[in-house]
Amino acid sequence: MAEAGLDAVLVYGNAWQNDYLRYATDFGILEGQALAFILRNGEVTLYLDSPLEVDRAEVDCRDIEVIHAPDLVAEVDTALERFRNQRIGAAPHRLIPRRIAARRNELQLSDQTALLDRLLMGKLDAEVDAIRRAAQLADSGYAVFRQAARPGRADYELIAEIEAFYRASGVDDNFQIIGVGGPEVRGMAPPSGKRLKHGDMVTTELTPCVEGYYAQICRTLVVGDPNADQIKAFALYREAMEAGIATVRAGITAADIARAENEVFRRHGLGDYVTDQYTRVRGHGVGLFADSKPHILEDVTTRIDSCMTLIVHPNTYHPVVGYMVLGDVVVATPQGCEVLTETPRELFSV
Amino acid sequence: MRRGLMLRDESELPKAVLAQRIETARSAMRRDGLDGIILYTNLVQPSAVTYLTGFTPYWSDGLLLVTRTGAPVFATALSKRVAGWISSTNPLSEIINSPKPGGAIGARLAADGCKRVAVLELDRLPGGLYDEIIDAAPGLELTDGSALFASLRQKIDGAERGMIARADAIALSALAQVDPDIAKDAGAAAGLVEKEARLQGAEEAYIAVAADLAADARMIRMSAPRPLADLFALRASIAYKGSWVRRTRTFAKNPMRRAAVVRADTWFEHLASSISPGQSLEAQIARCVEELPGARVMSWMAESPIGSYPLQSIAASGRADHSNFGEGGFLVLSLQLKLDAMPWLGAAPVFVGS
Repeated sequence: MAEAGLDAVLVYGNAWQNDYLRYATDFGILEGQALAFILRNGEVTLYLDSPLEVDRAEVDCRDIEVIHAPDLVAEVDTALERFRNQRIGAAPHRLIPRRIAARRNELQLSDQTALLDRLLMGKLDAEVDAIRRAAQLADSGYAVFRQAARPGRADYELIAEIEAFYRASGVDDNFQIIGVGGPEVRGMAPPSGKRLKHGDMVTTELTPCVEGYYAQICRTLVVGDPNADQIKAFALYREAMEAGIATVRAGITAADIARAENEVFRRHGLGDYVTDQYTRVRGHGVGLFADSKPHILEDVTTRIDSCMTLIVHPNTYHPVVGYMVLGDVVVATPQGCEVLTETPRELFSV
Repeated sequence: MRRGLMLRDESELPKAVLAQRIETARSAMRRDGLDGIILYTNLVQPSAVTYLTGFTPYWSDGLLLVTRTGAPVFATALSKRVAGWISSTNPLSEIINSPKPGGAIGARLAADGCKRVAVLELDRLPGGLYDEIIDAAPGLELTDGSALFASLRQKIDGAERGMIARADAIALSALAQVDPDIAKDAGAAAGLVEKEARLQGAEEAYIAVAADLAADARMIRMSAPRPLADLFALRASIAYKGSWVRRTRTFAKNPMRRAAVVRADTWFEHLASSISPGQSLEAQIARCVEELPGARVMSWMAESPIGSYPLQSIAASGRADHSNFGEGGFLVLSLQLKLDAMPWLGAAPVFVGS
């Protein structure tokens, strides 16, 4: 803040986009919305509109001031009067409530999303340690998932097993989507009640959260023995993921990683399947948000620095076998990267 | 961000019910001289859009536009690849996948010649989306539509009541997994309750615990080992296909305290099933507690889905601003008692009137 010439920063958070708020307050919000002021002298004030969340914040965040603000926007709008003639930054810009955003000129409220994004992307050793622990839980969570997957079970029953395991293991949050079936499956989504049957591919990405930090793992399993097409396709995804991981080191760009993954698909005549018609990203940052910046895409030129944490996942639709996923979390180093997830890179069979 | 079963079932939520809800919204728009209403949705503010479409986002956000005629338009930053999934739970809307959903809605409003449009919770609308709408439809007058939408939610229909009842049955069954004679650890108990809820088809389950109720009545999200004291409480906030309830139960290991808990539970069920329309909730609670010897109400709160939140605090002890509820209304009542110096917590859904 001192370098940016800011006297205060206003951050917004909810259970979907909580990284900016968590970075400033260490509060993991679940219900309602929050705004927080961070002053240059280190004082933090957290405003919450849910009375249930206020109870929890008072216990979880003892070093900051917690205020119950049933009319959150009006109360923070009033509090902003204290900062007249001071320079205030705000993030994330897109989600700052309209009533407050409308006063940006009058209040010298500047968009500081990029500043916060830089802080969120570069990790301290303690942050990498938390992601390391989350990666271990991603591995053990996937072992629970494999154990739970059997013919006749519904997709949401697998999720139930995972979430129960995580709640009992100190994991407050998890982002998980799933795909069940064959060539008709074009992506992953929340469970819809599909029951597993022989021959189905079951894809999932598991994203447990430890102390606010997410790590992710993507794997594919087959109910029964995989067929020759599935084995051949999986080899391609593994080659692509390993090409991407081999590219990661401090100094390259996100585009370099995406290009390394996509070249493998192009070499095998599947270049169409790395476009946005079939896939979203070829990986992304992980940290206080499950889908952090930088997005690993061929047009994203963000530089990768040491201690940045990423998942490399060439997840996409395959025209013969359907949507397939494979991804590991890595931390970038000057020489390359350290892979944090340890689950074997196999097409599992259950 | 976790989500369980997300599925629309025609037998539970028929398209005709959604069409009727949209038509009721249109009647209110015509009454107020509006050309349309815009409703925002994301993971924590899904309920208004869920009510009108059946759709709840598991990720990202979006805007629903209902104008005087034609299909509602749902614009979202969710990728085009999941458009099929969105349609499966949002059967009546035209789906637009766009990195700028506000721009897409603004363009539609401009093309349709709309002049005056309400926005649910206008002050809280993300500023970025507001800017996109105004940039695409510069002459548009946007007004706050919160009161209009709340007027639609004063009474629930049969389909919603059925899904609330299902959510409540899941919550009760999940909390019944806790045996105070066996349960020793708060994290394990929370995991047990959540697993049962999800196995029964809960879309979401938030479990909170007061591990030592005599020492601290605050309910904390618990996912780590912590011993359960003689008196403890669990709250299960459960969603079933977009409909949310809360159930809180107090548990006692000591037989004498357990008898007191049973007494309070029975009294609370009676209270929850006898809330009358048109009367102050605070007064009704005060009258009813006289029937429970040795009891004193420490605090209470009523929540209802009158806006984008699944459950929004609309009245509470010391803040009884909206405490008169109409016939057919729905709320979740949470209550804290002292019963002969023993703390007790409860929460239950309430259908007002018959």
